Amino acid sequence: MKKFVSGLLACSMMFGALWANGSKDAGGTTKSAAPAVKGKTIINFWTEDRHDLAYFQQKIDEFNKSNPDGIEIAINTVIDNYPNMLAMSFSSGTAPDIACIASATTGFDLKTFADAKIVEPLTNYIKDPEYEKVTEASKNILEGVNAVNGVPYWIPTGVRSGTKMIYNKTLLDAAGCKKLPTTIQEVVDLADAITKAGKGAYYGIGTTSSAPFVRWFEGACEKSGIYRYDFKNGRFNFDAYKAPVVIANKLFKNGDIFPGSPSQGVDAMRAQFTEGTFGIWANASQEAGVFTKQFPVKKFEWVVGQMPSLDGTAKGCVSDSTSKGYLLISSSKHKDLAWKVIKYFSSEDFMKGYLEGGYALPLSTYMAKHIDASKTGRLADFALTPYESMYPSVPAISLAGDTYQTALWNAVMGQADVDAVIKDLNTRYNDALDRDVKMGKIKRIIIKDFDPLKPAAGKIEYSTK
Amino acid sequence: MKKKYHDGNIAAAFMLFPSLVLLIVTSIYPFFWLFRYVCYDYNGFAAYFTRTYNFTRMLSDTTFWWSVVHTFEYAGLKLVIIIPLSLLIAVLLNQGMRGTHTFQTIFFMPTVISAAIYSLIFSFIFAVFNGPLNVALQSIGAIKTPVDWLGNAKIVMYSIIIVAVWGGLGNYMIYFISGLTSVPDEVYESCRIDGANAFQTFFRITLPMMSPILKVILMLAITTAFKDYESIIVLTNGAPNNRSHVMFSYIYNLIFASSTTPQIGYATMLSIVAALIIGIVTALYLFFARKLDNVV
Repeated sequence: MKKFVSGLLACSMMFGALWANGSKDAGGTTKSAAPAVKGKTIINFWTEDRHDLAYFQQKIDEFNKSNPDGIEIAINTVIDNYPNMLAMSFSSGTAPDIACIASATTGFDLKTFADAKIVEPLTNYIKDPEYEKVTEASKNILEGVNAVNGVPYWIPTGVRSGTKMIYNKTLLDAAGCKKLPTTIQEVVDLADAITKAGKGAYYGIGTTSSAPFVRWFEGACEKSGIYRYDFKNGRFNFDAYKAPVVIANKLFKNGDIFPGSPSQGVDAMRAQFTEGTFGIWANASQEAGVFTKQFPVKKFEWVVGQMPSLDGTAKGCVSDSTSKGYLLISSSKHKDLAWKVIKYFSSEDFMKGYLEGGYALPLSTYMAKHIDASKTGRLADFALTPYESMYPSVPAISLAGDTYQTALWNAVMGQADVDAVIKDLNTRYNDALDRDVKMGKIKRIIIKDFDPLKPAAGKIEYSTK
Repeated sequence: MKKKYHDGNIAAAFMLFPSLVLLIVTSIYPFFWLFRYVCYDYNGFAAYFTRTYNFTRMLSDTTFWWSVVHTFEYAGLKLVIIIPLSLLIAVLLNQGMRGTHTFQTIFFMPTVISAAIYSLIFSFIFAVFNGPLNVALQSIGAIKTPVDWLGNAKIVMYSIIIVAVWGGLGNYMIYFISGLTSVPDEVYESCRIDGANAFQTFFRITLPMMSPILKVILMLAITTAFKDYESIIVLTNGAPNNRSHVMFSYIYNLIFASSTTPQIGYATMLSIVAALIIGIVTALYLFFARKLDNVV
């Protein structure tokens, strides 16, 4: 009997283990999937945005109750490593049907996703007349950004502005500031004046551990006509970054940076700004929602200023980014229904509420005309300027070592020699570019008529040399 | 032969089978899978043959070699603090004092909390401006100006060690307590009769009799310390200027960093080198720790 029981136990364990390994259901469905209501089809939707989550949830609830196709949208917010998580979910068969995307989604390389056939071409879908009317899709196809070889994979429905400076007016007044800075040097001087006036109670400027380079410094460089990629010659060139790095380094030398902010997350620093502990912050138009909804500023008046430049004039465009596009994932078993959801997210009704809620700036002229601009609140402060534009996609290289953002910010913080950093970046980036082009992984992008004040206007050529 | 079947070998084989399958699928196969891509630039979907590039890149990758140095620094400092401290606490809690179980629970509690969560809490504790640690130290006059615990290259590793010791102390304390309870009471009793003091009892009786379990605990501590990286990812992600990168935080960033395309081929190359380094360290330890088996 004892032997029989032990044998039975062994067999049950073995089959149990095999069942756990082999059963498709064990890990085959996405965690985001809500329990399917009988007769309903679940469409899984991923997003990395949190600032507009309440609006999305409200509109999804409305859609789930009223749509005649039996669609149930299940929303899942994926915050960290979004492109990697998406890629891994596809590999493991748990990908969503739709994934929200923006041109500024960090680390997302459309060509890789298109080549791997993770994303579905939208060529035929976007011919829908109603969709074209609202989104003006045919006008918003930008090679390397939302299209590969002319094939569109997502269509943006909103715009995130270029980065802007955000000031605590109370602290500016206390520091005797009469005019918002127009040069990088003036930002440094103002930060120093605020710090001195604060006497340890508050400081000049705040930064963060999360992509500090792009929050304002890169925008200031772009407005000064400095860009990492020389589109005319198809090479990386970091030489011109030296002057702005040397000036911005004074912020650290003078002790004008909010103490410890280089190792704090972005939301922690937004909360500090809301408390009035430093005078200058910077970011793009998402801060309109952040400082009115996520961390509402109630203790002082905050004002939005334009990016500074080296000499106060615009020699190049600050990069803005198209947002709220939707990728149709090729593994979706309900592509037509998923497209109906994308169409709903891009519809006039949905976008009117979204844009008037101040979550993004309008992209299409149709939506710009059909929203009540007076309802957009502080988003109006982030309205696009003539020197804000999308930039063509820069080749996605396999880089050895730190990215230019990390390396240059280390130089700004005074932790590395700027000349050595620039020399190293020129070498590493161009070596990686040459190697990747040679092995056929990517193509060199050349725009012979590139104009930094009209970066999206040039004619793109691809070179395999 | 027939006798073996009757001894239940078949049942034993059946019982071992699931574990064996899981071991092969989840541990052995992934390790050998690494070797597939050491000569490739692989982004998760497409692999490009790069010959010996990953190897030559590794040789000149100063960030990686510095991360190796930081790994030794981290592991060394952590072990030097955590092993004596956890042994001391285990000995104190093994004296049969009142409230022993409460203290054991308190010390063990960090072990059941995710490293990501307690590291996040420590990042608030370490905050420079009005952070609890700086405020406390300033209020007792230990420091005059706030310390940038995670942003100062000179002290960041010590800050990380504090978190690592806090998170791992309870675990090693439990190991040591289980080792201490294995020493028979009669031995201590005869020591007391012979007039040995506490110091002599500990160094002449307790420590030698614990040497076999001490050997295992040290080996576990060494391998764990060399593989730690979760706290570092949350606390600093290698900052400032890569000063706190250890081998596996650097490798993690090569695959999962959101600012560049995944470099799985190169990361596998580094993973193998990291595994070799840990293997050599463990082998050296086992070689020098042979004597611990024969102490008793």
